[in-house]
Amino acid sequence: MKLRLTFLALALVALPLAARAEALPKEKMVELLKGIDIRVRSSGDYKALVYLEQHEKDKPDVAREALVYRRDADQKLLILFTKPSTEAGKGYLRIDKNLWYYDPTVGKWERRTDRERIAGTDSRREDFDQSDLANQYNPAYVGEEKLGAYTVWHLKLTVKDGVDVAYPIVEFWIDEATGNDLKRQDFALSGRLMRTSLVPKWEKLYSDDKKADLWYRQEIHIYDEIDKANSTLVVIKSVDLHSLDENMFTKAWLESKSR
Amino acid sequence: MRQLFLIAFRNLLQHRRRTLMLGGAIAGVTSLLILLTCLSSGVKATMLESATTISTGHLNVAGFYKITAGQTAPLVTDFAKVQAIVEKTVPDLDYMAARGRGWARLVSDQGSMQVGMASVDMGHEPRLPKVLKMLEGNVMDLAKPGTVLLFAGQAKKLKVKTGDSLVFSVLTPRGVNNTVDVKVCGVAEDMGLLSSFNVFVPDSTLRQLYQMNTTTTGAILLYLKDMKNITRDMDLLRKALTANGYTVMDRESKAFWMKLQELNSEDWTGQKLDLTTWEDEISFVSWTLKAIDGITFLLTSVLLVIIAIGIMNTLWIAIRERTREIGTLRAIGMQRPRVLAMFVIEAFCLGALGSLAGVLLGVLASLALNSLHLGVPEGLNWFLMSSTVKFAFEPARIFGGAFIITGCTTLIALIPSFRAARMKPVTAMSHLG
Repeated sequence: MKLRLTFLALALVALPLAARAEALPKEKMVELLKGIDIRVRSSGDYKALVYLEQHEKDKPDVAREALVYRRDADQKLLILFTKPSTEAGKGYLRIDKNLWYYDPTVGKWERRTDRERIAGTDSRREDFDQSDLANQYNPAYVGEEKLGAYTVWHLKLTVKDGVDVAYPIVEFWIDEATGNDLKRQDFALSGRLMRTSLVPKWEKLYSDDKKADLWYRQEIHIYDEIDKANSTLVVIKSVDLHSLDENMFTKAWLESKSR
Repeated sequence: MRQLFLIAFRNLLQHRRRTLMLGGAIAGVTSLLILLTCLSSGVKATMLESATTISTGHLNVAGFYKITAGQTAPLVTDFAKVQAIVEKTVPDLDYMAARGRGWARLVSDQGSMQVGMASVDMGHEPRLPKVLKMLEGNVMDLAKPGTVLLFAGQAKKLKVKTGDSLVFSVLTPRGVNNTVDVKVCGVAEDMGLLSSFNVFVPDSTLRQLYQMNTTTTGAILLYLKDMKNITRDMDLLRKALTANGYTVMDRESKAFWMKLQELNSEDWTGQKLDLTTWEDEISFVSWTLKAIDGITFLLTSVLLVIIAIGIMNTLWIAIRERTREIGTLRAIGMQRPRVLAMFVIEAFCLGALGSLAGVLLGVLASLALNSLHLGVPEGLNWFLMSSTVKFAFEPARIFGGAFIITGCTTLIALIPSFRAARMKPVTAMSHLG
């Protein structure tokens, strides 16, 4: 009995040591994050048709459609809602580090925080934009896990000193085979889990400007972990990498589309 | 003059039925006016009470701090210095309380809602325990960190009671998501619209949530001994703060949260102070008061016109009936102004007695309705700022109303009275009517 207990204790001690032995080196983890950042970054212009489905407790589901325009080289982003008719013409425009919101029913621009929920859903600006994970976070290895049929690396990212982000702690599950993130959990400063995102589908298309494939998360399921009954589905229906109008990332352009 | 009053009273007594009918109508209109005036005063008093309990002092030194041009937070940095200036400057100051301000998502197992947060330091809030009517729990437990005090409507919506756990979720001024777990320390009776979206938390909880240091607060609420001098106190404070190097915003009659959005569009960064009165902070509900006053004015005007027509008609009849009497009085030497005065005084007496009776009726009706504690339907209580109909008595407004009605009835009597005074004695005496 005593011998069996000793073996058990030794096994318990050895298990994490074995896991640590297989842990990814920090450079490899940073490389993985850089890989995601590079993969989703578009060197040229980017236009996507996005479908957003919002589920909230005791409220009817709301489906929206929006066009997302990006010019990553200049950090420009524009989101223009096209459906339903009550939302059509509303939009977000990022100029420098400011996110502006336009509502055609009142005809006014409001400066909003960069971290706010897009159209009141669980999605944020970051879900539609390029990412900068490698520069914003320090990764730590949690382990190798199974996520359905996929073998994934589980990383815990902690925000770097002096960097402001919406979620200071993020956990990532990255597919070993492709390097794409399949699951993400965002935590508040207090350490409480705020939302879980699942990415069952990634898509790619060749970018002439980038001279490489541009990857995008085609489907994202976002679950509110505070208000458990709320969730949002984001589906990117199509992506177009042709050049956009030179002057389209302006308030005047969005206003003209809202008329 | 005494004679004229005697004649007027005698005439009123002689035509008792007519007097009772007209006097009754005047009394009815006056009592309605008094009732509505008392309701308006009641709403105003409730507004003052709930506003100065929940979200504002009589006077406020609030502030806005912009870390970047696009991110405005309701903050007063280094507030002890501002408090020192207030203490030196405001002569009517009774006491002041520093309160943090925030806007958060409050989540229970059963539901969630957006709420305004007011953080309190119970050691500096002598009024709060006196005014809040607790349905359960203890208001003094707000001194314990990690607690929240809800109002009845909120507790019902979130399906929680004292002791239950809730989560506050916010975006800090730096744009970082943060949460804090709290326990319901008590549930207070609803106080109208303001209590539907405001909750109280301890100072330490708000600081933890927003990562604020101890030298920063949301606003300094000033409670005055005498509210009559509120404008003067505000001017003094504005001058003193400006002299001490603070940038004070121009006065705008809006609640602080309405200003937040507008300020986000402005390009400055740093600290600005904002001086407001309690009325500024609840200007978004003051339309209720204006609506009640508007209805009062409209109803009273319509009824007053009807009464005026009635009085004119009655006086025409009286003059016709008393034409020979007028002729005789004129023949024995009564001058035209006295004839005019005779009829005007009669109308004045009728108006004064009628409106006095109306005041009495109105006040009694208001007292009776007050004692019944009539509940108001859900929805309407938002606008009346209370779950029961409350009537308050402001002597100046009550007697002002009675004076206006008496004045109107007297003025309207001038037209027929002029005609009576213009009659020639011979024509009047030969009148057969």
